[in-house]
Amino acid sequence: MSGALASELLKLRTTRTFLGTVLAALGLTALLAGAAAGVAPYESGDIPGADVLDAAGLTQPFALVLGILAVSTEFRHGTITPTILAVPDRARLMAAKLGAHGVAGLILGGVSYGFTALLVLLVLPLRDIAPDVSLGDAIEMAVGGIVCVALLAAIGVGVGTLVRNQVGAVIGGLSYMFLIEPLLTALPTVGRYIEDYGIGGGINALSETTFAGGAELSQPAGAALLLGYTALFAVAGIATLRARDISA
Amino acid sequence: MTAIEVKGLSKRFGSTLAVDDLSFSVEAGRIVGFLGPNGAGKTTTLRALLGLIHPTAGSATIEGRSYGELDDPSRAVGAVPDGGMFHPGRSGRNHLRTLALAADVEAKRVDELLELVGLADAADRRAGGYSLGMRQRLALAAALLGDPRVLVLDEPANGLDPQGIRWLRDFLRSLAAEGRALLVSSHVLSEVAQTVDEVVVINRGRSIAQASIGELLAKRDGGVRVAGPDVGRLAELLERDGAAVTRGDDGALLVADRSGEQVGALIAASSIHISELSHAGQTLEDVFFQLTGGDEEPAG
Repeated sequence: MSGALASELLKLRTTRTFLGTVLAALGLTALLAGAAAGVAPYESGDIPGADVLDAAGLTQPFALVLGILAVSTEFRHGTITPTILAVPDRARLMAAKLGAHGVAGLILGGVSYGFTALLVLLVLPLRDIAPDVSLGDAIEMAVGGIVCVALLAAIGVGVGTLVRNQVGAVIGGLSYMFLIEPLLTALPTVGRYIEDYGIGGGINALSETTFAGGAELSQPAGAALLLGYTALFAVAGIATLRARDISA
Repeated sequence: MTAIEVKGLSKRFGSTLAVDDLSFSVEAGRIVGFLGPNGAGKTTTLRALLGLIHPTAGSATIEGRSYGELDDPSRAVGAVPDGGMFHPGRSGRNHLRTLALAADVEAKRVDELLELVGLADAADRRAGGYSLGMRQRLALAAALLGDPRVLVLDEPANGLDPQGIRWLRDFLRSLAAEGRALLVSSHVLSEVAQTVDEVVVINRGRSIAQASIGELLAKRDGGVRVAGPDVGRLAELLERDGAAVTRGDDGALLVADRSGEQVGALIAASSIHISELSHAGQTLEDVFFQLTGGDEEPAG
């Protein structure tokens, strides 16, 4: 493992941000998944197992924010100076941050999907509700969902490098995800393409969410699309970081 | 070998020329003070040297290479940047551990350095609660992780109490005694005057002087003060020699245009009994103010 990657992983472990993000994501997931598993009414045609599992998708915005904080926090506290002195190759630094936050995203997603899977296995049987989802489909959903959380963390790293202001980056990132892109899908003609091929389209396809009424793309295509967005933000982030004067 | 070489360095931020065609060098084993009023361009110069900002023109190299070209930067050069650069929620030890990993430095070096800078007891506390002096010590420890041959310190004495400044002075001297080259910036000459071998004085982004402390002292004027029972005779001799002599309120002589050495020689040759012979007038600080025009207007 490269020193830069090990350093970034240690940074994540040595402040409360990562632990706080995991706990907050888990708390919200527990609330919604708990409701879906414990009290939600189901009719025939519903897939209760998939609905409960899907609640782990709530982790996605937390992963995005965690990624955004990766670089913006370094600028905010000035730690970017010793960081770049230790790793002067800024592309290598970005690669390490992308890798570390990808790993953090996998952990975050893994914990959330693991938790909702437990609810499917333990709580639904108590209510005599059949999950109605095959093990293969559930694994496909969970793996796609976990990868999706990891990619959103990586996209966040890029966003947090492009937008210098930390608060602006967090608000901007979340607004785009939940407000701007959904609004854009309502546009005539182009709206459809934004819905299918925007970041939200990639997320829906990759995580096989049951909420959006099915995605246009297949799961692998969704993965490729999100990977493409990740690469785009990463390249733009590296270019920005390279050009920037580190003066604070 | 030239440890640090700044050649024709310029940096423009928008319409402000923060550093203007600056050149100077630091040889191995020397401590050089980098002096100038606030806003003179010191931090910008040091950050250009460390590859943090991109020069508009010219170059700044360490052992002949730009920072980005160094094979193993943390072993070549260590830096204490201006201001505390820590995540307030991370402990001092963990701050050093993250940097040690990134620089491929052994973990046990972290504990050695915490001991060396006197932070071992506070190492596991969150850095946000550190005093200014503790932050500077932590920054020094970070700079020394790779046991570098060159050290670049930006205002390391800023915010330190007199005890801290004294500790820093002794510490920097011990580092230079080990053969390292040190470039130490300050806006207060007295902080570094007793530590440095030479100074580079800049103002408004331009170099005004690079000289040893001795050479700088030689630029002083203000004359020599002589007191004692026989100064009346001395005054006659000096006046006969054409010197400008005035009498102080306490009866002592002030000789404006003779050096201490010249006056001393005359005293010895004429067997004159005196009680005091001292430099009068300008201090080293006065020379510094004179060089920098005494203005503190920020230039960037």
